[in-house]
Amino acid sequence: MIQAKDLTVRIGERTILNHIDLVIQPEKWTCLVGPNGAGKTTFLRALLGVLPYSGSLTEGGVEVFHSQERNVAFVPQQPQIPLGMSVTEYVMMGRAKKDGWGRESIAGRRFVHKVLEQTQLYGLHNQHVSRLSGGEMQRALIARALAQEPEVILLDEPTSALDLHHQISTLNNIELLKERGVTIISTMHDITLAAMYAEEIVVMQDGNVLLHGPAHSVIHSSELREAFDNRINVFTLDSGRPVIVAAKENLI
Amino acid sequence: MKNQLNEDHLGRIWNWRITMVAGLILLSVALLGVSFGPIGLSFPKIIKTLLGGSNGLQGQERVLLLQLRLPRVILAALVGAALSTSGAVYQTVFRNPLADPYLLGAASGAGLGATLAITSSGGNVYGLLPIFSFVGGILAVLTTFFISGKFFAEPNSLLLSGIAVGSFGTAVQTYLQQRHSSALRPVYSWILGELTVANWQVVKWSSLYIISSILILITVSKQLDGLMLSDEESFSLGINPNKLRIIAVAAATLATATAVAASGLIGFVGIVVPHLVRGITHRVTNRSLATIAMAGAAFLVLADLGARTLLSPAELPIGVITAFVGAPFFLVVLRKRRVTQ
Repeated sequence: MIQAKDLTVRIGERTILNHIDLVIQPEKWTCLVGPNGAGKTTFLRALLGVLPYSGSLTEGGVEVFHSQERNVAFVPQQPQIPLGMSVTEYVMMGRAKKDGWGRESIAGRRFVHKVLEQTQLYGLHNQHVSRLSGGEMQRALIARALAQEPEVILLDEPTSALDLHHQISTLNNIELLKERGVTIISTMHDITLAAMYAEEIVVMQDGNVLLHGPAHSVIHSSELREAFDNRINVFTLDSGRPVIVAAKENLI
Repeated sequence: MKNQLNEDHLGRIWNWRITMVAGLILLSVALLGVSFGPIGLSFPKIIKTLLGGSNGLQGQERVLLLQLRLPRVILAALVGAALSTSGAVYQTVFRNPLADPYLLGAASGAGLGATLAITSSGGNVYGLLPIFSFVGGILAVLTTFFISGKFFAEPNSLLLSGIAVGSFGTAVQTYLQQRHSSALRPVYSWILGELTVANWQVVKWSSLYIISSILILITVSKQLDGLMLSDEESFSLGINPNKLRIIAVAAATLATATAVAASGLIGFVGIVVPHLVRGITHRVTNRSLATIAMAGAAFLVLADLGARTLLSPAELPIGVITAFVGAPFFLVVLRKRRVTQ
């Protein structure tokens, strides 16, 4: 279980997270939504353990700051793409936590091979990551996270800059982790997709948590509209699936 | 047909056979290095002498091998290994393929130290010069870090500080040279790099620093790959990026400062050799550091051989050879990489 108690993160003079209390259940997909500047990415970075904070942020009762005992995978929105590195080398780095840096166990290589097939990267495995398209790079990032066999995976806008087809295939790849009992925490701008995949949704605004609960109840809540200054509309399809779109005055 | 699950399809990230080949090339080149020169020495006799067997080289030839050529070849190998390994590490740490070992001001600091030694010493230049240039190089890098203030938080600010410190050091050095025009020639010859001062004493102290620095870098080499990612990504893979950068830069700077102190400023090795090894092996991993060290050693032994023999009995500065051979070679490798990509 991940627990934030009175969690505050300041960067310089600015307060990015403001006395947050939050409990995130293990082995579920929790999605953080909210407008830009709400503090979603900062929460992910704090949870990764790279940001100093006041209050408490624990995973399994252990403070997460600078804690590297845990196996937490991180998929950034804007990765640093290493020049000259092949897809295989890139994905193989995911084995570092399990096998040790630079140790290529046969089991590890077999696992990476399977992951490359799962993420449809096998044909590209000798290509340099710097030559991949946006969608392929996103798959390589997910593949590295899958190879890591993490207990927790943190994803910062995993579907941004992807077309609809690649959004779905990326999210399906992430969903594979749920079957393995991995706790998934992501930020996502597309709330419709968040409602489709996540079980829990956390609504954030200005460094505060406005609401946290099961996806279906949060989607229809007034807090979600409030977070976006009432500029969203929530429709329900015949199938019962919610669709959230930006509200525009005089929209026909 | 569906691909069979066979991990060998992926190809190994690093194959140690490549390292062994580099080792064999280094040994062969070293043998050439001690054999060729104004006076040729035969391979079998060299080997017999080195192994302590009977029927080895005698008299002047023995002195030539053991007191002149062997320390010189070993020093060239050490300096080549130091510069190429440091270059590769700097390129990883600063995520900049054009980074070289002199990036943080080590060259101009060492140059200033050498100029001070040459202008202030009465006659015992070679006693003071290595110490002054070593201290100058280390001080310049520390100043760069101090001025940057943010250390590795902003690599670009660190690089700009390195440029500022470098320019300042060069300015002071030029001023000193103008004031002591008699120092111009020795300083200039030192700047172009020279291994003529090689003797067992220089080999002894430089090998201590260079070998220990390279061993440290090889020990952390596997983790260095993680520094090619963002800090968050490398942290999630179990690395403490700042700690690793400090270890890597400290060891690379120590190796560079020692190399500069022992042999002057030899350019291009730190950029050409890492790119050459990566271009040939198609691997960017830092697990190639041992291979890069051996390739750098072989490259400089060959360059020194050229410097000694091309205009024999006169000598060319080794820096001229490395630049003359290195620059076109570098362009070929870059072109080849572009084609294969």
